[in-house]
Amino acid sequence: MHFTPVLRSEALKVRTLRSLYGTLLAVFAVTTAFSALAGASDTSDPDFDPLFTALSGVWPGQIAAIAFGAMVVSSEYHGNGIRLSLAAVPQRGRWFAAKLVVVAVPALAVGLLTACAAVVAARAGLGEAAGGLTAGEQARGVVGCGIYLMLMALLAAGLTALFRSGTATLSTLIPFILIVSFVIGDAAGGITDFLPDKAGQVVLYETYDGPLGPWTGLAVTALWTTAALLAGVWRLRSRDA
Amino acid sequence: MTSIDVKDLTKEYGTRRAVDHLTFTVRPGRVTGFLGPNGAGKSTTMRLVLGLDRPTSGTATVGGRAYATLHEPLRHVGALLDAHAAHGSRTGRDHLRVLAASNRIPPGRVDEVLELTGIASVARRRVRTYSLGMRQRLGIAAALLGDPAVVVLDEPSNGLDPEGIIWIRELLRRLAAEGRTVLVSSHLMNETASFADHLVVLGRGRLLADMPMREFIDARVQPRVRIRTSDATALKAVLTRHGHDAVEHDDGYWSVRHARVDDIGRVMSGAGVPILELSSDEGTLEQAYLDLTAAETEFATPTQET
Repeated sequence: MHFTPVLRSEALKVRTLRSLYGTLLAVFAVTTAFSALAGASDTSDPDFDPLFTALSGVWPGQIAAIAFGAMVVSSEYHGNGIRLSLAAVPQRGRWFAAKLVVVAVPALAVGLLTACAAVVAARAGLGEAAGGLTAGEQARGVVGCGIYLMLMALLAAGLTALFRSGTATLSTLIPFILIVSFVIGDAAGGITDFLPDKAGQVVLYETYDGPLGPWTGLAVTALWTTAALLAGVWRLRSRDA
Repeated sequence: MTSIDVKDLTKEYGTRRAVDHLTFTVRPGRVTGFLGPNGAGKSTTMRLVLGLDRPTSGTATVGGRAYATLHEPLRHVGALLDAHAAHGSRTGRDHLRVLAASNRIPPGRVDEVLELTGIASVARRRVRTYSLGMRQRLGIAAALLGDPAVVVLDEPSNGLDPEGIIWIRELLRRLAAEGRTVLVSSHLMNETASFADHLVVLGRGRLLADMPMREFIDARVQPRVRIRTSDATALKAVLTRHGHDAVEHDDGYWSVRHARVDDIGRVMSGAGVPILELSSDEGTLEQAYLDLTAAETEFATPTQET
């Protein structure tokens, strides 16, 4: 089978589910709103990083991106709809590849747009405090933010294929991001720098001093995402539908 | 020629053998009824044919090829496995558009099958709002989308109203008349009897019968003549004289085994016995099926007799 019709079909699946628009809208609204709030608050903290403050809305906003990735895949497992999908496209690898494209492209596009809006909204509040940010740093933050959100959506998509359930994915990833990474983050020392969310978020800071830089950090997140996707593909191909 | 060929097919889930060395062929131009109690392996066999489950051993092919190797499979094989496969938040029409797109089926065909299955008026409503009967029709619409030569339907009459049952019966007969290969599973005997030409019967994953339906019934159920009279004594005398064995039933009729209506009718009229009712009691699929499963149970359960 050709890839284009499969991709067209998968894109149509995303376009015909209204709840998916809702999650993408939430990525934009939540991220922008939280960034705007952060920009309007106190900037006297010694750890203050103007770029991260401008993009800090990503922290709650990524949950919506994760929900998007998980829901695009989990919608297949409602009422065993996956059987119908795989009867139409028996080449499971190709089918999943098309699925990933329709997760990645909207997540990246919305991520980039969101990051731009977040920076603009936060800078309105930050004023002088963000004056030191160069255009290059802001561009790096925006592009990195888009890629980061895309990788998190793909990570969720891979885990959903592995668990065959969106609920299992969300109840694993969200506590992980909200609690594990946040609470034990500083306590556990260097290792947490390599967790998927921590590593990828380095790109959102103007200054960074961990073992990872902005792009190496995203590369580490990409490795986690790749691992989740490979696990998902393995489950999809080895299991009876 | 597009047959479904199942050869020595076995599927185990853990230690449970759902399908056990199954071999049969579903041929075009007739409706093949796929019978068996729940859990006999009908749905599993269908999933194996569609390449959704992997067989433990053996093969299942469509037109000589494994399903997964078909180019744009919906154009060759249409299947209804589960009426709940359509996502509730999508409209019926979008559900079909998505399937059509993946196999490059022209979008116009979507509206055709919506008309054909009688759900065009609800096509733009979300599937969540559909009754089971409408979902069933949507599933059949999806199966017919690619105008396939092979149609596989798992319990298609589930949830259909009486009108829908008549509709599906006529649809199945028409599909077979068009030369398609039609495999329809059911556990409803009278329903299957109304559309099937041929039967494949499963029990505990094994093949119990693979033969024309008429032959299946005739082999298992003796035809009887049902007769009612106002003069029981004369009736009995005449029947005995002609070597027939008659049994009287509570509600006043007699049944004569191993006999044909034509013979009994002539004999009675010749002897001047007053006849109130005379009809042939053809065996039903249900009787034949119960006879088969009874024999199967007897075979499977060791008897305690000494």
